[in-house]
Amino acid sequence: MTTKTRYFVIVSLVVLGVGVGTGLVAYYAGFPMSAVGRRGGPDELQYVPRDATVVAYADVRGVMTSELRRKLHEAVPMSENGQREFQDQTGINIETDIDHVVAFVAPGPDTGLPAGDASKRFPGGGMVLARGIFDAGRIEALMREHGAHIEDYKGKRLIVGSIHKGDSDAAPAPTAPGTSSDSFALAFVQPGLAAVGNVTLVRAAIDNQASGQNITANEEMMNRVRTLDSGNAWAVGRFDVLQKQSGLPESVASRLPPITWFSVSSHVNGGIRGVIQAETRDEESANNLRDVVRGFMALAKLQAGSKPEYQTMMQALELGGTGKTVALSFAIPSEIFDIIGKAGKLPAKQGH
Amino acid sequence: MTQTPTFLGSSARIFDLSLGQMLWSRRSVFLVLLVGGPVVMAAAIRIVVPMIGTRALQVNGAALGGSALFGMMIWVLYIRVVIPVLGVFYGTALIADEVEDKTITYLFTRPIPRGAVLVGKYLAYLACTVLLVLPSVMLVYFLVVPLNGRVGESFPSLLADLGMLAVGLAAYGAVFAFVGARMKRPILIGLVFAFGWEPAVLLFPGYLKRLTVAYYLQALVPHAMPDDSAVSVLLQVFHEVPPVAVSLAWLAGITLVGLWAAARAVESREYVLEQ
Repeated sequence: MTTKTRYFVIVSLVVLGVGVGTGLVAYYAGFPMSAVGRRGGPDELQYVPRDATVVAYADVRGVMTSELRRKLHEAVPMSENGQREFQDQTGINIETDIDHVVAFVAPGPDTGLPAGDASKRFPGGGMVLARGIFDAGRIEALMREHGAHIEDYKGKRLIVGSIHKGDSDAAPAPTAPGTSSDSFALAFVQPGLAAVGNVTLVRAAIDNQASGQNITANEEMMNRVRTLDSGNAWAVGRFDVLQKQSGLPESVASRLPPITWFSVSSHVNGGIRGVIQAETRDEESANNLRDVVRGFMALAKLQAGSKPEYQTMMQALELGGTGKTVALSFAIPSEIFDIIGKAGKLPAKQGH
Repeated sequence: MTQTPTFLGSSARIFDLSLGQMLWSRRSVFLVLLVGGPVVMAAAIRIVVPMIGTRALQVNGAALGGSALFGMMIWVLYIRVVIPVLGVFYGTALIADEVEDKTITYLFTRPIPRGAVLVGKYLAYLACTVLLVLPSVMLVYFLVVPLNGRVGESFPSLLADLGMLAVGLAAYGAVFAFVGARMKRPILIGLVFAFGWEPAVLLFPGYLKRLTVAYYLQALVPHAMPDDSAVSVLLQVFHEVPPVAVSLAWLAGITLVGLWAAARAVESREYVLEQ
């Protein structure tokens, strides 16, 4: 072997050795080695509990001003009762006041509820953190008019109200002095940042931010958040935990694929483009899930063959993923919403 | 009186001689371009993405993870192009080049088994390609995966990739070594097999796909097959994945049988050198 050949062999082996060594260190020690910013995600994540089951983000302003929303609004006139009720209670107009929101589902204790008891699902409850322009004084006055009272928690003003239910005659179990299980609180935890949710969760959110023990310290979740950050609406969560908490009957739960994590990331503008990802317990489950999705995709593509207007959408469906990950990317063009719009208007015209 | 070297000793001697010849031949320029292309591409992605932001790495508006991009590169560049091309051009040339250069006489007149010439050259091909392809994959991995991803998480799949590529090079090399030793116009036959027969039969249901190397090799790939074309969609529809152990057994069988058949062909065939 000539010296030149020997050097080549040594250099190749060194590249391989260094690569394998670095990879092993990264694998066993969790060495980050990421080329982009470490934390990622919106700042509001500092208020989210470390063990949140689901975290979601939406660029509300982006979505509300999108072409898609305009088309949908024209096509399907939606009931705005919920939005109006929220505005009546809190003085916040979702369409104009909010820039973006972060929502989460907190893990709750195992209640041992019988399967299918929907009334107490997600005992940990959920909370929304909304960033925007708020008239704090007006909102507080409005909520006080509706019976809310003010509490002070670690220097933050909590406006605590209660949700009125027509059929709730029984007295709710108290969660804290002066509050009930149906109490919700709104707190301006930062200028322009409103936290709305269960009183206990709002208090916990203030603690999470102060202690630093929040979801930004959960590397497993943050790794996933970083990959979703470019979309204007996304959600990520533990599917297995949600499945346990949902109290599904065993016969149904056993038929669900063994998904551990799920995530959805989308970009809403003229249409919707996005990726749905699922992480399964093992590679075999991922292969099975891919096969199932592939079958549905083939069927959908076959069905869309005779409808040219749906073909673009079908062609954009792309199945991917590595190892335990199954990813389905999609793109719904704005033309589809035009078709929905026409279909929605048709019965109204026929009625005239 | 000198002792006749053993088969293994002879193979080692030929390996030593052929490795340098293969590495520093004109064909190496082609080899470097082939394995260097993905590295250049990965380096370009690595430079551009931090400048534009991770939105540059998007599929349908959603972020594409670094490991997913790496998986796509493995499928599209290495499995579909680099491995079969190296197998065809190097595997068929093991004996054919010596015949073409009229230097095979010098090897066959040495007191070594003819089969050992082929085995030694095959081992040199394997060392040469493995030592070029695997570092190339390693560089691509470390350039691409840290974009929107973490090295540690997908490292086991890199090891699977490296093993799969080495096995693929060995299997394709053995098959094309036989083609080169047994047939005339081996490159043409090799190209038809790798880029005509294999992709075609994989598109259809049935047993014919079992007569390909790609069928077993694709079962070892830890990444999902990308839907990058209509052909890929068809491939996915009829995509059967044999178990890993079965695939490994078949690939080992293909390699050993291919190599044995090639050695037998070299032993028995009379090479007529054109004047």
